Parts: sequence; structure tokens; C-alpha cells
Amino acid sequence: MTSLPAPIVSVDELSVAYRSGGREVPVVHEVSLAVSPGRTLALVGESGSGKSTVAATLLGHLRHGSRITGGRVAVDGRDVFALSARELRRLRGGTVAMVAQNAGHALTPSMRIGRQIAEAGGEVPVTELLEQVRLPRPRELARRYPHELSGGQQQRVAIAMAIAARPKVLVLDEPTTGLDVITQRGVLDLIGALREELGLAAVLVSHDLGVVAHMADEVCVMHAGRVVEAAPTRRLFTAPAAPYTRRLLSSVPRVTDAGLALVGEDGTREIRPRAEVPADAAEAVSVRHVTIDYGTASRAVDGVSFSVRRGEVLALVGESGSGKSTIAWALAGLRVPSGGRMRAVAGGLRGGAAGGSAGGSAGAVAGGSSDGSSGGASGGPSADLSGAASDRSAGLSPGGSAGAWSGASSGGRSGAPSGASPGGDGDLGVPARRRPLALRRTVQLVFQNADTSLNPRRSVGDAVRRPLRFFGTAGSRGEAASRARQLIADVRLDPDFADRLPAQLSGGQRQRIGIARALAGEPEVLIADEITTGLDVSVQAEVLRLLDDLRRERELACLFISHDLAVVRGIADRVVVLRHGVVVEEGPTDVVFADPGHPYTRELMAAALEPEPGVGAERAAVAVEGWEDAAGPGGVWVELGGGHRVRRWRSADG
Amino acid sequence: MLTFLVRRVVAALGTLLLSSVLVFLAVQALPGDVATQVLGRDATPDAVAALRKQMGLDQPAWERYAEWIKGALHGDFGTSLVTTKPVGGEVAQHLGNSALIAVVTVLFAVTGSLVLGILAGLYRDRWPDHLISTVSLIGMSVPEFVVATVLVLAFSVTVPVLPAVVLYGPGAGVGQLLPAVWLPAASLAIVMAAYIVRMARTSVIDVMASEYVTTARLKGLSTWRVVTRHALPSALLPTLHVIALNVAWLVGGVAVVENVFNYPGIGKLLLTSVQNRDLPVIQAIALISAVVYVVCNLAADIGSMALNPRLRTRGGRIR
Repeated sequence: MTSLPAPIVSVDELSVAYRSGGREVPVVHEVSLAVSPGRTLALVGESGSGKSTVAATLLGHLRHGSRITGGRVAVDGRDVFALSARELRRLRGGTVAMVAQNAGHALTPSMRIGRQIAEAGGEVPVTELLEQVRLPRPRELARRYPHELSGGQQQRVAIAMAIAARPKVLVLDEPTTGLDVITQRGVLDLIGALREELGLAAVLVSHDLGVVAHMADEVCVMHAGRVVEAAPTRRLFTAPAAPYTRRLLSSVPRVTDAGLALVGEDGTREIRPRAEVPADAAEAVSVRHVTIDYGTASRAVDGVSFSVRRGEVLALVGESGSGKSTIAWALAGLRVPSGGRMRAVAGGLRGGAAGGSAGGSAGAVAGGSSDGSSGGASGGPSADLSGAASDRSAGLSPGGSAGAWSGASSGGRSGAPSGASPGGDGDLGVPARRRPLALRRTVQLVFQNADTSLNPRRSVGDAVRRPLRFFGTAGSRGEAASRARQLIADVRLDPDFADRLPAQLSGGQRQRIGIARALAGEPEVLIADEITTGLDVSVQAEVLRLLDDLRRERELACLFISHDLAVVRGIADRVVVLRHGVVVEEGPTDVVFADPGHPYTRELMAAALEPEPGVGAERAAVAVEGWEDAAGPGGVWVELGGGHRVRRWRSADG
Repeated sequence: MLTFLVRRVVAALGTLLLSSVLVFLAVQALPGDVATQVLGRDATPDAVAALRKQMGLDQPAWERYAEWIKGALHGDFGTSLVTTKPVGGEVAQHLGNSALIAVVTVLFAVTGSLVLGILAGLYRDRWPDHLISTVSLIGMSVPEFVVATVLVLAFSVTVPVLPAVVLYGPGAGVGQLLPAVWLPAASLAIVMAAYIVRMARTSVIDVMASEYVTTARLKGLSTWRVVTRHALPSALLPTLHVIALNVAWLVGGVAVVENVFNYPGIGKLLLTSVQNRDLPVIQAIALISAVVYVVCNLAADIGSMALNPRLRTRGGRIR
């Protein structure tokens, strides 16, 4: 450590500001750092911390409207911002290269891969470069266009492009954000190998502390344009000095957490035990042997079965393309399954939705009010105005719930037409527009991307008010407005936010509005499709906490879709692991994480990166290399007890 | 890719067929009887009946349509009611003259406006952009006959280098017409270019701000290469359809400008025929304009296919 070679990158007291409305807004404030050849420095921080701005200055690049207000950036002994245009071009191709955040956007759509790599310069043939980034059939691939590649392949192409001219410094701006764990692991391993092979100095920009712990030698933690802490990786993760670093580290969910981590101001961590789902909790959604096809050729989901009970969070995990989002969309009514059955089993009739005949009966479900406090089937009996409600409760009363999904709605009582009974009970195998209003209300989807799923020209209050009026949960205009404010308060935001436009909110706040909008329909089932992906860890922790609170308060059945295993561990009660549209393992979260039975589950867990240097590497060894499906006529599942079951498999080698 | 092409061509043919029906119906729906209109108010009923028979107006509409479209496919659009010459030949002659203007206009307007638009986009918010944007805004808001008049004032009256009006008939040769082409073409080009310049500017700005252009810059490529290889193919895509629409618009724009310059083109013929109620000629010109529109849009579609690989490839992935 004492005899490190002279740094190849050195940034001294760098300050950057951009002009906005006639004012200079500083974005980077007196940042200093240095990287030696062969070393990797990570710039860590949350969005807006200025980490990407600093990284881009290594290539002499500033965003439109920004300028250097002080300091100096030197790469390979030369002041980057003093170079002539010609010298700067030579620096960019030859000395420093960048791998941009989103390869899907960073590759020119109208050019073939091969030509894009070739023009990056250097003497190395394109096919050799493609081989070097472990891409299959390089000759064929070089003739492809970017849109013909998967996200992981695009990222590999971007890396090939960056190393084409054999640079000395590689700048990686969030190189794996948006990739699923397994693809991420592959890309990181590749970067690590190339770094060794080519002796590169690397600057890694990331908000993912797991990635940083895995890749970096030194870490600079940035916050609001300043470096709050700089230390060797191991020391930073074991003994963080700055309170901000401690808080940041504590906010990261771990695969070992047995519940949600609540982080204090000083960075202390407290694990909140998971809410106990009563053993007799009623089933809210039931999915049986569902198959979903895209077109005629490809099957996205193949014979998937699961159920979610009231007050329970069920996680669907798997890499991209495993069909988890497709299932969410089908449940929300945006896609029609080509086979199997999906049903919502309502637990309580609310707001006096178009009920059938009058005549309250004993044994009806509690919580018939419109105040949003849902009644669980386990609640005390109370009179209800609707006969339809009693139809349901007959099937749902304790004892009759587990596994009795078919009897619950159609067989339980006569007179309840399947798929159309009021109060949200019914067939989910039809598109949303053909579902009865009450059923549509029952199942609500929170989108992955809060910023694109909110109308940018409407206030967020409007966004929440619309479903209130649409579903008739609020009668008058005034009532809708006050309910909307209440809902915004329910998601732990200031009700005055109602008048703001989505652009005036932060990413996490927008995601809360997305949740409030879904809650406006007073759903019983909430589908959360990757809702924390792309959020900073501290914001992610807040959103998860909110979701956990809401399901406790409202006994929501929640389908939580994520590729992030650490997040799933904290929030989910049960886990369903999907691979290529097929369930390979399911069971209680703790059991599955403690003793994963299927090699694919093990692979997923091995790929998950913990914010502890060196941890992931050991776990990788656990994964079984080759395996094949062994499900035969003798039975598909190996039952391990306690609801934990694993799809039959055998080692590929025999 | 082939299915895409076939689908577009079939759609184009369908559009043409539909527009021929519309043109035919519109002419039929003109108030009053055609024969009466031609012969005037004082014509005897016998004369009207005779003319109707001669024109085939006593037959049902769909038969007349079939007859007309069959002829049109062979280039026979009937005979002019005024000159009693075949419509096809007359229209073709004028069309040729107009094509001379159109070709010159398209050549200069499209290349010029693309260059200006791209320059404005590249020099965003600096003086070349301000200059180009302002001038194109003026070009957009001034009607073509005003532009034409100003041009005549400048180049025929003040500095008499080009003829203000054409003194030849429709049968004039290219050599005779060529000097007269420049002023009409210039006035059309100015109006047309304005739209293309603005569209090209916005899409160049959009594309230059994209991540892949930034990546290309950070690869150390020269600005010329970044612009021509990475930015332009995508920037031209939206511009292409604006160009197509504007070229199609020429058919209408030409009518006004040709009358200002007394140029013996299709626009002049259209105006005279409307004044004379020469229905077969109007019908023929309307159909030809429809063809021009459809062909322009088809060309734009094929052009965007060339620029956008997503339309060409099926998007199969390598696993």
C-alpha cells in the first residue's frame, strides 16, 4: 500500500456550477481524488450528489450550461480542460474511455454494432473485442443493430467499445443499473477480468453499495456535491466515519435481514420483525396454471400457480424475461392469459358498491365502511347490507379459506354469478375494460416508473382524485378533494403536495403518489411492479417501510415483484422464484433464503451483492454449475414441508 | 421488411382508389347539370339532352365512373369541353412544364433547408441559429404570392435579370421556359424551406442531446463524424415526412405562383379550367394531385425504412 505508483487520474479542488435562470448553481464543490494505475475508485452517492458530473470531467465533458468554477482535472499528467479540441479527442479515444449508464440509449440505433465499435479506434479487430467481452458468435453479432440485443449484451458491447483503443482509464457510470442480478454479476465479473488483463485504472460511479463493495479498492462517498468520506473499501464498509456514510450503509437492505431495516438518524439499524400473517388469513388472489403468450411464438408464462392471502406480501423474483412483470400485467387486466384461471376473492364489501339483494346475514365480513380500513375475514362478524357479501363470506370464513378458492365464489353459494359478482369477487382472466367496476377497484397496480406513469401536466392531487371519482369512492367534488389529501397524507407526504406537478417532486415522492393513486380505489390486492428499482437506497427504504405499514393497516394482499433479493427478504412473507415463465421454487421467505433448494435460486442468491467486501465471492461457490429439469410424470414438485417446495431437477452431468 | 413494403404499397393503392371515387363524386356533386353549365342558361332542352348523351351523362353514375377510371388507367381522361382536345395530352404538357419548376424547387429547397436546419440545430442559441430561425419564421408567415411579387419587384423591375411573366404558350420548349423558371421556383422554395428548416432544427437539437451522441463524442470522434454518422440518420427521420408533405403541397402552391408569373403549368391550367367549368380537366388534375400526394408519402415511408433499422429487421435476439 505504501509504494503505489503515481496517480494517473488526479482531481484537485474541482468545483462545477451550471447556470439556471440567471443564477449559478454549484453542483460539485471542491472535490479532490486520485486513482493509481490498476486501482479502482468508486464514487458513491445518491442522485444529485454530483458523482456523474465528476466522472464526466475526466473525459473533459460537461453538461450543456455547466462550467468549471475552480480546480483542475489531470489525466495522465495533462490538464484535461486545457487541452485543444484535437488533443481532447485523442484523450477521449485513447487515454480515457467511458461506459455510459444505459447502453440501450448509449448505442446509436441506426448503426451496426461492428461499425460502432470499429470507429472507436484501436488496432484490435472487432470480433476479437466482442470475444473479449464474452459475447457469443461475434461475427454475426457485429452485423446486428443495437435493438436486436438484450440489455446485458448491449452493456457488453458498450464495454467492448470502451476498451477498443486500449485506454489507460475506464470510467464506468452506473454500468449495471437496470440490469437484473445475474446479468449484473456477469457484467461486473467481465469488468473485473478486463481490468486485470489490461491493467486499467477504473472510476466506478454507482449508487449500489453492493456493487461498490464488490468492485472497488477505494471509495469516495459524495453528498450534495462534496466528498463526505474517502477511504479504502474495506475500512469504509467496516468502520464508516461520517454519519452520512453510516446512514447510507444502514439503509441498504441485506439478504440476511429477517425483516425491514429501520434506520435511525445516526445510522443505527433496527430490524422490524415481519408482520405475522394469521394462519387462517383468507386468500385474496388465486392464480392456477396460468399461461400467457406473446403472439403465437413465445410463451412468457407457463403454468404458474400461486395465491396471495390478505395481509400477506408475496414476492415474485427472477431475472428479466422470467415473466414476473407479465403476470403482474395480467392480474391488472392489461394482458389476457391464454390458459389457466385467475380469481380475486373479495374479503369485504366497501362503500356500498352496487350490491345485490338486501338482507344482511350473519357471518358477513367486517369492515363495510368507506374509510379505507379494510376488514379481514378474520375480523368479527357484522351485518352487511348486501347479500352478495355474504355469498363470499360463506366461502371465506375461517376454515373454508385455505385451498378452497374454487368453492369460495362459485360453489359456495348459489346465485353468485362467477366473474361478475359485485364487491370485487371475480374472474381476473378478462381484460380490465371488461371487468366489473368493483373488481377493477379490487386489484390495483403500482407502476415501476412513477415519473412516466403520472401525467406531467396534471397536479398529483388530480392523479389521486381521478380514481376516487371514477370508482365512486368519493361522492362529491369536495369529498374527493379532501379524500385525495388524506390519501397523500396516508403515504406520508404533506397534503399540500396535492397542488404540485409530478416534475416538482423527487423520485421517491412520485412513487408514493403512485401508491396513493392505487390506494384511492381502496383495493384489496396491490401489485407492486419493481417499485423500488432505480430509487436511492434511503428512498427505497422509506418506500418499503410505507408499503409494509400499509399492508399492516389495511390488510392488503400484496404481490411484490422484484429482482432484488435483499429487498424481497425484508418485505416478503413468501417467495415465488420464476425462471423462463416457470415456477422453480416457492416457500416462506426465511426458509427459502436459509435453504434454497433449486440451483436457480442459489444462482440468484449468489449473484446478489452485499455491501460487505468479499462476501458475494464466497457464496458464488455454492451455485450448481449445470442442471436440468427433471420434472416427470411422477411429480413436478419436491415438497419440503411448511409450504416450501422445489421443482424437481438433476445435475446435468448425471 | 418485405411485408412492410407490400403493406405500404397496398395501402397507397387503396388510398388512390378511394380518392378517385371522391374526386369523381365531388365533380358530380357540383351544383347544377353539367350540360346546362356548359351550354349556358338559354340552351334549348334538345341541345342539353344531346350534350348529355354525348357526354354519357344519361348513364348511371357508377358506369360513368368505371368508364372514366378505365380510361384514366390508359392515360385517356376524356376530351376537354372547352378545347375539345384530349384532356390527357393537354394535362401532360402542362404537367411537364410544372415539373420543371417542381424539380428546381425541390432540389434547392430541400438541400438548402436541410443544411440550414442542421446548422441552426448545431449552433443552437448562437447567432447562426437566431438568424436562420428568424428568417425561416418570416418565410413561413408570408404567403407565396407576396413572396413572388417581391421577387418580381427585385429581379425583374429593379434589376431586370429575369422575366416577370412568361410569354410563351404551353407548347414552349425547355430552353424557352428555363429563364422563367427561377422566380417561381424561388418563391415556392422560400415558403417550403421554412417548414423544413424548423423541423430539421428541432430534431437535430433533440438528437444532439441524446445519450448516444454524447457517447459518440466521448469516443473521441470528430464533430463531422458524430453529426453525419450518429446524429443525422435519426434526426432526418421526422424531417422526412415534413419534406414529403411539402413536396406534395407544391401541387397546390404551384397553382398560385404560376398564375402570378403567367407560367403555362398545371396550376394555370387548373385555374382556367375551373373558370371555364372544364370538368374532365379538373377531374384529371385532381386525380394527378392525389397521385403526387400518395407517391410522396410512400417515398417518405421507404426513406424512413432506410434510415431506421428497427423497421427493417425483425428484432430477433442472439441468445
